[in-house]
Amino acid sequence: MSVSTVWQAIRNSFRALREGEFLLRIRADKYYMHIMYLFLLMWVTILLSLQVDKTLTKAGDNQAAIDQLRIHHAEKEAALVKLHSASAAETRLKELGVNIALPQEPATVIKKK
Amino acid sequence: MSRRQSEIQDTIENRDRIHVVMFFLSLLFMILGILILVRIVHIQASYTVDDRVIGLFRPSVQRHVEHPVRGKILATDGRPLAISAPLYDIYMDCTVRKAEYAETGKDSLERVWRNKAKELAACLSAEFKDKSADAYAQAILGGRDKGSKYLRIQKNVDLSTLEKVKTFPLFREGPYTGGFIVEKHDERIYPYDTLARRVIGYVKEQNRIGLESSFDAELHGTEGYEWRRVTDNKRWVRDLDSAQVRVIDGNDIRTTINVDFQDIADKALRAQIQADDEVRAGICIIMEAKTGAIRAMVNLSRGDTPQTVLWERENLCLREVGEQGSVMKTVTLVSLVEDGYVKTLDQTLPTNNGFVPGGYNQDVHILDYQRETGRRDISVMHGFEISSNYVFTWLAETYYGKKPQEMFDHIYSYRFGEAFDFDISGMGTPVVNRPDSPGWSKTTLGTTAYGYSVAVTPLHVATFYNAIANKGCMMKPYLVESVEKDGKVIKKFEPSALNSSICSPATADTVTRALRAVVNEGTATRLKSAKLPVAGKTGTARVVLSPKERQGSSDPYSDAYGRKKFQGTFVGFFPADEPKYTILVTVYSYPSHRNFYGGTKPALAIREIVDKLYALDGEWDAQIKHTGTVPVMEKDVEVAKGVVPDVKGFGLKDALYAIEAAGMHCQYEGTGHVASQSPAAGAKATDNQIVKITLK
Repeated sequence: MSVSTVWQAIRNSFRALREGEFLLRIRADKYYMHIMYLFLLMWVTILLSLQVDKTLTKAGDNQAAIDQLRIHHAEKEAALVKLHSASAAETRLKELGVNIALPQEPATVIKKK
Repeated sequence: MSRRQSEIQDTIENRDRIHVVMFFLSLLFMILGILILVRIVHIQASYTVDDRVIGLFRPSVQRHVEHPVRGKILATDGRPLAISAPLYDIYMDCTVRKAEYAETGKDSLERVWRNKAKELAACLSAEFKDKSADAYAQAILGGRDKGSKYLRIQKNVDLSTLEKVKTFPLFREGPYTGGFIVEKHDERIYPYDTLARRVIGYVKEQNRIGLESSFDAELHGTEGYEWRRVTDNKRWVRDLDSAQVRVIDGNDIRTTINVDFQDIADKALRAQIQADDEVRAGICIIMEAKTGAIRAMVNLSRGDTPQTVLWERENLCLREVGEQGSVMKTVTLVSLVEDGYVKTLDQTLPTNNGFVPGGYNQDVHILDYQRETGRRDISVMHGFEISSNYVFTWLAETYYGKKPQEMFDHIYSYRFGEAFDFDISGMGTPVVNRPDSPGWSKTTLGTTAYGYSVAVTPLHVATFYNAIANKGCMMKPYLVESVEKDGKVIKKFEPSALNSSICSPATADTVTRALRAVVNEGTATRLKSAKLPVAGKTGTARVVLSPKERQGSSDPYSDAYGRKKFQGTFVGFFPADEPKYTILVTVYSYPSHRNFYGGTKPALAIREIVDKLYALDGEWDAQIKHTGTVPVMEKDVEVAKGVVPDVKGFGLKDALYAIEAAGMHCQYEGTGHVASQSPAAGAKATDNQIVKITLK
């Protein structure tokens, strides 16, 4: 194939494009279904990709929320446990002016025979 | 020219043209090849890539490292002793948008910002209460004038507070207008503050102590990472096409520590130390007799002066190697009974005015004994009760004088010669002067018998007494009972024995009887009235001073002013007849002219601990069986007018009915069932007579 032949083909293609006959010239109608299928695949790919991004973003947000809850839980647990000792209770009762002290005798146990 | 010649001519011309084209093409490729080679050499040798170019080629992904959450340290009942949670440091870029506002030439924008900063200052002052609103405003606005881009607002803020701070004026507008900067860092939270802090320990860069250090591999977890990419919405999401290593959070460790025991012991010991400015430190160990599980380990000490705060500064239970004094007499007694040299505790020995030949000091207590009793002999039991150095020196010299190794074999079998394996590293190494040691002298055997010349840790002593409580089986003390993941046990540490039999059960019983006598008749009578029977031994020892403390004194036990450091110990177990816990309390003094006996502060602390532990657990008290019957009034009981009815055993309702039906009035006290009544049943009574009943 000579250079002039190639040049001629390019010129013809441009002319066909200008006249709106390019697809007919290359007989694209013969591959119409294939082209539509390719288009559909690309559309589905893009859509899925966007959905994946959306899901991952949501998962990230949820993870952040879970992390925050975990931190809150740890903080609340520490605050609660701090109060859960005999001396902490004694100090608090003293502060409140309540006349209750730790037991001097053990609790009576009712045991099954 | 013929047609044939013409065709030949055309072919030649065509070939020439092809040759020319091919020549130029090959020339072009050759030039390109040379250029590529030159470029390669250039890139390798001197080319530096422009950052902008790199930016264009760099994929919009980043490596995100995920740090594991450090595992919890739990008490034996699951209450957390140490947990991890992030804390936040809040900073402020005071210069935010300042230049932009200046460029617009409008003062109003800057004025609005400054007014908001004042509102922010008021909110910060109200929230943190550490500075006035004016002080905060001055810091922020001053920082804006000076160009401060990193003004510290508050450190170590928790998440709840942070979320509140985020809603304050200016800060709610974010970093680009409010200059709000937050830095997150993981912190360890100890809910019980100082309680058992030396046992729990910490890991801070190179400083590692306690369980946090020993079990760091379990607690730490494994870091993970993932690659993240930017979505079209400019959000960072995980890049599913890249590798990911999942983060593994640390495991939890469940200790043997009982928070209530630790709390009670801490408080009792603290009270004893704080009551006396000459006490430097105090320790307490509570160990479960059957297993060796440590239920409490308290290490309270002051600094160089009594004014310093009482704090868990060092693990004295584990590291303080020292001569323990008379508590070691029990070691000698166990050896003597086990070897059959002391067959009964009533066995006697001559008093000899308190002298043992061979360079020993006279025991003046024996002179008192002789004077008070008029006797010239003393029983082993009484020698143990009054903690006589003479008695134990005499026994050691008499029975082990010719074969000291026999006694030291016992000492080694009681594990006093080694720093045995323990859950926290750094146990002090004992010092035992054996007959073949360079430090051995003619008095070493005798002094060893009453607690000098052998230096061990308090944990060694507690472990030995625990073996007596456990009928001779020496359990290995331990602090960690399991490693857990999300509440599921993945590794369990069972109790184990250091020596399955240091002595026979009969020997242990005999020695227990002697230890009980110390509390009832001897040096620890302060514990006689404890709510649970305690058996144990007191010990008072002088502590060797450091050269600095001696201040030039040649006596290793006293300084230039004659002051000595003491340690007073009580170690024993309770309830004496069926031991459940072994307990040791030692107090350490500053250099002092006073003595600190094991029968005073340590015994008082133990009494408080024992009394409180008694009240804590229902197992000590009598139990009511659920099959017990409660008397009730029978329907056909006859109530005669003018005669006091028998209401004993009735409930209040029935008693009231019976008394009022007989025409009398009732006064009652207490709850439960009628235990007593006045007047007695059957007595004649007038109308409106008052019958007093007591319910129990």
